[in-house]
Amino acid sequence: MFIEGRELTFKHNIPVTSVEKYWKGLEEGKIYGTTCKNCGAKFSPPQADCSVCYSSDMEWVEIGGEGEVECLTEQHSFPAGFEFLKEPYTIAVARFGDFRVIGWAREKISVGDKVVAETDKDETGVWKVYFKKA
Amino acid sequence: MRVGIIGVGCSKFGVREKTIQELAFEAVKESLDDAGITREDIDISVVGTSNTRGYELMPAVPINEYCGFAGKGPIRVEAACATGSAAFFTAYSSIVSGMADIAIAIGVEKMTEVNTPTSLAVGGRSGSYLWEFHQYGTTFPGYYAMHASAHMAKYGTTPEQLAMVAVKNHRNAAKNPKAHFPKEITLEKAVSSRYVAYPLKLFDCCPISDGAGAAILASEEKIKELGKEAIWIEGIGYSSDTANVAKRSGYTGLKATVDASKMAYKMAGIENPLKSFDVACLHDCFTIAEIMAYEDLGFCKKGEGGKFVEEGRSDFGGDIPVNTFGGLKAKGHPLGATGLAMIYEAVKQLREEAGDLQVELKNYKALTHNIGGTGHFGWVFILGV
Repeated sequence: MFIEGRELTFKHNIPVTSVEKYWKGLEEGKIYGTTCKNCGAKFSPPQADCSVCYSSDMEWVEIGGEGEVECLTEQHSFPAGFEFLKEPYTIAVARFGDFRVIGWAREKISVGDKVVAETDKDETGVWKVYFKKA
Repeated sequence: MRVGIIGVGCSKFGVREKTIQELAFEAVKESLDDAGITREDIDISVVGTSNTRGYELMPAVPINEYCGFAGKGPIRVEAACATGSAAFFTAYSSIVSGMADIAIAIGVEKMTEVNTPTSLAVGGRSGSYLWEFHQYGTTFPGYYAMHASAHMAKYGTTPEQLAMVAVKNHRNAAKNPKAHFPKEITLEKAVSSRYVAYPLKLFDCCPISDGAGAAILASEEKIKELGKEAIWIEGIGYSSDTANVAKRSGYTGLKATVDASKMAYKMAGIENPLKSFDVACLHDCFTIAEIMAYEDLGFCKKGEGGKFVEEGRSDFGGDIPVNTFGGLKAKGHPLGATGLAMIYEAVKQLREEAGDLQVELKNYKALTHNIGGTGHFGWVFILGV
């Protein structure tokens, strides 16, 4: 025998003030990482504080050019929140110089492929990175 | 100070019509009976549960109450899928610190109170929510699938080799009545199953299970005073890695495994891991995870994990039988319970109480390897007689 529990919904307000440039950048077709001005450590996704030397003097760097796919998966099971997708979707990590970037693939790609990154929003209005073959 | 294990318990794993308290009770009762002590003898309890799916949001106290430990702790511990190992270490530490003579580590997880899409979403949030799940819908199978894609591309690891891990572990689980799936599968069935997260298929993935494990630890002095036999903790290693998958140094192995095993091998004086253990419990939440673990633990060279399983070297009669009770793959993987279910298996094997699944003992040493997330946490324990 089971008893149905009372419903509880979380809808979090996530503060992104210190990395606002990243989110605004996606809307302009740009992908940003950060570099620590003190020690040179590079961060993608970006962060406002350096985990290496503890400086908070960071510089925004645009990530672009040609990347190489290092790993990927095609998701056939949809997690809650992604019911809007009708077809399996591909998540990949590609390396652009010193930065690795996670994104969705626009087309069929393989590990080792050269890709370029662009930005767009999905059906729920969330901006993100998309890869396509270079 | 030496610390020994005097009692172990493990519930039946699977879809269980039991609350988190009742599940924990099953494992705790067995461990107390096994140790031949009562609940009054416990100085402190450690409750390990990730519990990101259950309705009881802060379950340590309800569990402690139900097991009759009110007033003795509890310390709640969370390390994703390695929670049981973190609880084991915390219990060990409470004894080494001198604060307790006898401590119990309880690991428990209720995973089937929510549906599969919810469970996938919760698991997918175990990386770094804002940068991964929020934007890209990452899932736990997906993270391991990404590693599989890199391993297959670089080393030519095949879907058949992945499936061989599942076939072996199901064969072992078939003789373990506590397993979620105590049944054998064929290679054909495994390789022809549907994709969950390419390149991983249904039979490359562990089930979503409820379950509990428990271990009772005591100081050497206390063990002598009680006149008990113990299995000794000879090596401990821990590590971790970045939350963000994009911040990792590579995808063909888990650095947390490499680093944790080095620490444990040093503490236990292990020079040749392949020749040192009679049995190993490896973290096989997905088949690729067991293959990477062979390599990262030094059982074989990097890239040769696929061949290692294919040649039967991790099977009964091989160099080192791995996951003799069925592994996470077929025994089940209730997150908080898993690390302690590994301790249960290692202790049963070292005491020669494993019945049909008993390995031959030569070194009288066992290894457990428990990963949280995709190498977000890494724990290795070495037990000896």
